[in-house]
Amino acid sequence: MYEQILRERVTRVDWALWIALGGLMCIGLAFIHSATSVQEHLRDLPWYRQFAFLQAVWYGVGIAAVVGMCLVDYRVWARWSMLFYWLAIALLVLVLFMGSTKGWGARRWIDLKFFSLQPSEFSKLAFILAQAHFLSRPTEELRQAPVFWRAIGMIVLPFLLILKEPDLGSALVLMPVGLAMMFVAGVPEIFLRRLVGGAILLMTLILVDVLFLPSRWHVIKLEDYQRRRILVYFGRNYTPANTTREATRLARIQQFNDSYNVRQALISVGSGGITGKGWRQGDQIRLGFLPRGVAHNDFIFSVIAEEKGFLGSVTVLALYTVVLFAGIRTANQARDRLGKLLASGVVTLFFGHVFINIGMNIRIMPVTGIPLPLLSYGGSSVLCSLIAAGILQSVYWYRKTY
Amino acid sequence: MLIFDQFKKSDRPLWFLTVVVLAGLLVLLGGLWYIQGVSSRKYVESLRTQSFRKVRYPALRGRIMDRNGMVLADNRPSFNINLYLEELSGSFQEAFREKQKAWRAAHPRQRMAKAERDELGRLGRFSVVSNLVQQLGQQLNQPLALDPAGFLKHYTNRLALPMPILENLPQEKVLLFEEQPNRLPGLSLDFQPMRTYLHGTLAAHLLGQVRMTERVEASDGEPEIDYDYCLPDCLGLVGVEGAFDNELRGSAGVKAILVNHLGYRQSEKYWSEAEPGCNVVLTIDWRIQKIAEQALQAAKEDVRGAVVVVDCRSGDILAMASAPTFDPNQFIPRVKPDDWAKLSDEERNPTLNRATFGAYTPGSIFKIVVALAGLECGIITPTDIFASQGHYVLGKRLIKDTAGAGDFNLRRALVRSSNSYFIEYGLRMGLPRLMDMSTRFCLGQRTKVPLRQEVAGFFPTPAWVEKMKEQGTPIHIGEIANLCFGQGQVTVTPLQMAMMTAAVANGGKVLWPRLVDRIEAPGPAGSRLLKTYPAGAVRNLLGVNPANLEVVREAMLADVEDRREGTGCNAAVPGFRVTGKTGTAQVMKNNIFHHYNTWFVSFGPYENPKYAMAILVEYGASGGATCAPVARKIYEVIKQLDENPNYSLPEKPIYRPVQPARKSNRAAASPPAGQKVAMANPSASQP
Repeated sequence: MYEQILRERVTRVDWALWIALGGLMCIGLAFIHSATSVQEHLRDLPWYRQFAFLQAVWYGVGIAAVVGMCLVDYRVWARWSMLFYWLAIALLVLVLFMGSTKGWGARRWIDLKFFSLQPSEFSKLAFILAQAHFLSRPTEELRQAPVFWRAIGMIVLPFLLILKEPDLGSALVLMPVGLAMMFVAGVPEIFLRRLVGGAILLMTLILVDVLFLPSRWHVIKLEDYQRRRILVYFGRNYTPANTTREATRLARIQQFNDSYNVRQALISVGSGGITGKGWRQGDQIRLGFLPRGVAHNDFIFSVIAEEKGFLGSVTVLALYTVVLFAGIRTANQARDRLGKLLASGVVTLFFGHVFINIGMNIRIMPVTGIPLPLLSYGGSSVLCSLIAAGILQSVYWYRKTY
Repeated sequence: MLIFDQFKKSDRPLWFLTVVVLAGLLVLLGGLWYIQGVSSRKYVESLRTQSFRKVRYPALRGRIMDRNGMVLADNRPSFNINLYLEELSGSFQEAFREKQKAWRAAHPRQRMAKAERDELGRLGRFSVVSNLVQQLGQQLNQPLALDPAGFLKHYTNRLALPMPILENLPQEKVLLFEEQPNRLPGLSLDFQPMRTYLHGTLAAHLLGQVRMTERVEASDGEPEIDYDYCLPDCLGLVGVEGAFDNELRGSAGVKAILVNHLGYRQSEKYWSEAEPGCNVVLTIDWRIQKIAEQALQAAKEDVRGAVVVVDCRSGDILAMASAPTFDPNQFIPRVKPDDWAKLSDEERNPTLNRATFGAYTPGSIFKIVVALAGLECGIITPTDIFASQGHYVLGKRLIKDTAGAGDFNLRRALVRSSNSYFIEYGLRMGLPRLMDMSTRFCLGQRTKVPLRQEVAGFFPTPAWVEKMKEQGTPIHIGEIANLCFGQGQVTVTPLQMAMMTAAVANGGKVLWPRLVDRIEAPGPAGSRLLKTYPAGAVRNLLGVNPANLEVVREAMLADVEDRREGTGCNAAVPGFRVTGKTGTAQVMKNNIFHHYNTWFVSFGPYENPKYAMAILVEYGASGGATCAPVARKIYEVIKQLDENPNYSLPEKPIYRPVQPARKSNRAAASPPAGQKVAMANPSASQP
């Protein structure tokens, strides 16, 4: 009994978490290299501008940030959380005015010359900190409706701003995070049920509107590309009835193009089979069928699944499982409700990213630009994932010691 | 489990969160297993479909040789300059970026629509390739231009295949291209086997024609594959090329081209190798074929006709010529427009094989059949004398006869070709006996010569006579009279007449004509034998009395050797006893005399017949004047060949086609003296 306590006192580093994260980072480096080295214009870059090297730099920066964070008690960070929150909101407003599109049609990045900052990533972290801080008040207060509505408001503000970019995926991922944190905090379930019920009703309305109503009856104003994405996800045809043949033909081509990424990702994953084709041997990326612009970030999982097969996918999934359950354990062992809320927020965030990203590779989720934590290429994403892991570590470090 | 044990006091929310996370991960695991484990094969197949283009590439076509192993149809390398577009994809991008820059400068603060991007890409690609083609033109000292529509078509439909820029390059241009110090990117010299007929027009109608086409059905034993592209292959249409297309074509190979997402070629590999086609060895002797063609061409100016020479013992076709002729090389790779005009001239119709595809009225050469029918039933005896008045009166009709008045026995009637004699005896024996004898000669039936160009000809049969009777137009006695001297309801092909003559020569065996001797495995001449076609296959036995046959043969000998009366004396060859029967058939158009088709059928040598031939010339003067000399020219070479099997024809033609005569020379071109041509005699057949 004492021995265990003693050992726990000594081992304040969550080794399971860090071994799993280290494994994910190694896999990330290997397959970003694989995904970029087959493209001539990326392969010929000098080594210090190679994507894999840059990713390694971000891993380094992220780990340094984690070490810095762990030196300070998470309660100190929580005290400053509202500042981070409003800072993040300010950045989200800023990105709407001076964001760069990187050629993708959505303003999601702020170009800092050496680094493209993606405020939506950081806003998720700031939101978790702020929400945890806000909800860590005594449970009696949480039963009051105004508190509940303020918590909802804290979700909705960044949600709308991110939706405006537009970045539907990142916006939507905020919802389960906020919901889970409220649930864990002990917000009366009746509130939550109504909330979830309302959300489901809204979703149903949107889907019915898009999928079943003729175009002139559309009530809900969606961007055309969003509408098409939903149609692609549900595998429905674009063409409304009784149009001209030419219109039908154009719609077919459009549909074929729109479902291109999904189809190619699915072919990548499926053709990998059980054991895969071997590192750097993936046909889909080599021949460019898997879109090269996104292969190393949003669709990195397809690359892994094609080159390492089912075994590779399961390895990745297992590593995430370790990370997620280490987080839940941390939440359980947290010293106070703040720590528990922070840990469960981070776990939900990770889980949301993993589920949506892998899910879109195997077509159980629609395509959204959600990165896979630590595997996808991207400074903001890596930094935020590591900082989030750092929050977990910080909660673990200062956990209950019996 | 380690994780769940740690929930001291029931922390419901965390427990719930754990279950949700676990469930989500299990969903992902299940989904991955379904896609990567269960239905992986489907996706591997989709990957194949989108990244491989299956190409059918033709096999080397088999050769066609004569009986001596002389190659008549072969393959030669054709040098092409091809453009491999994938090597230019970098330049295409560069060109596109430049165009894009220019566009942006011209349209500031505007977004480029997809259609505009595509258009700029198209323009960029075209300018790159068009520049390249112009540079190539400078290197080769010949003006070259890229056809925009053709390029666009190739780019959209056949991107994975190299684009042909120049085809069938002459030798000096090949050298010029090879010697260029700076190679143009993407261009490469490839060669492709191409059908070639080494002797031009020699045996053109026998060899036939091929068409280079991409729509080729799989030959026997070739896998049925859903190809993305088919490279042009030769498709045999007619002649031996057509009839033995399956054997000659071999079986095509399959090439898989790996393409990237834009459709550019990355690499290729062979899924199955092509198996070359077999060689076909013909029965013809190129020397006899050549002299037959030369002799036929020399018969008159702008000659239209046919010559068939067969070995009367085996039925082997030794030569088969048809005039006017054509060069089968003109069809490769495709017919040029001005050539096409000549080839499709309906009046001359050079691609028509007149030896098998022309049905002609036989005229007097048919009297051989009538004579045999009469001898067999005893109505004609060799010694019977028929006193001809120089014409024959049938009811109100007067049939004139160029043989003149006088006493005719069978021999003299055949030699002088007396129409009156044969009408008299033919009517006496009646149509059934004539039909019986012509059926024994297999007239009116196809000889099944493998040329895909054959007509059956026609002679009344009992069934046909019955049918006419039912239709209320019974066969009239005048029509039977016409049949007796080979006019009217009878048509034959020169090949049928050659086989008929062969039957008379060989003692009564109607043979199947044999054109193909054997099929050999691919490779040089004399390779492994795959199939032989037996010589001397008997089609029908005449079953006539040998003495009666001898009477006819003797009369045919006299026709050539009788200096005084023989109509075929122009065929005589010293030291080689030629026999023959002339024919001059009238061709009527709208019941008015139009022209003569002249015939000469013959066999030789008389003592021990080896060769039989039939010669037909349309618009001839008479059988004796126009066709008999052709026979003589052929027999002269045959005699040489018999004496010296290694005899080789001189390089230069022995006989040249008759040049169109000038007006003043008209008289000289008319038939030689001693041959009476009764042009004003529309109702009778000439000797």
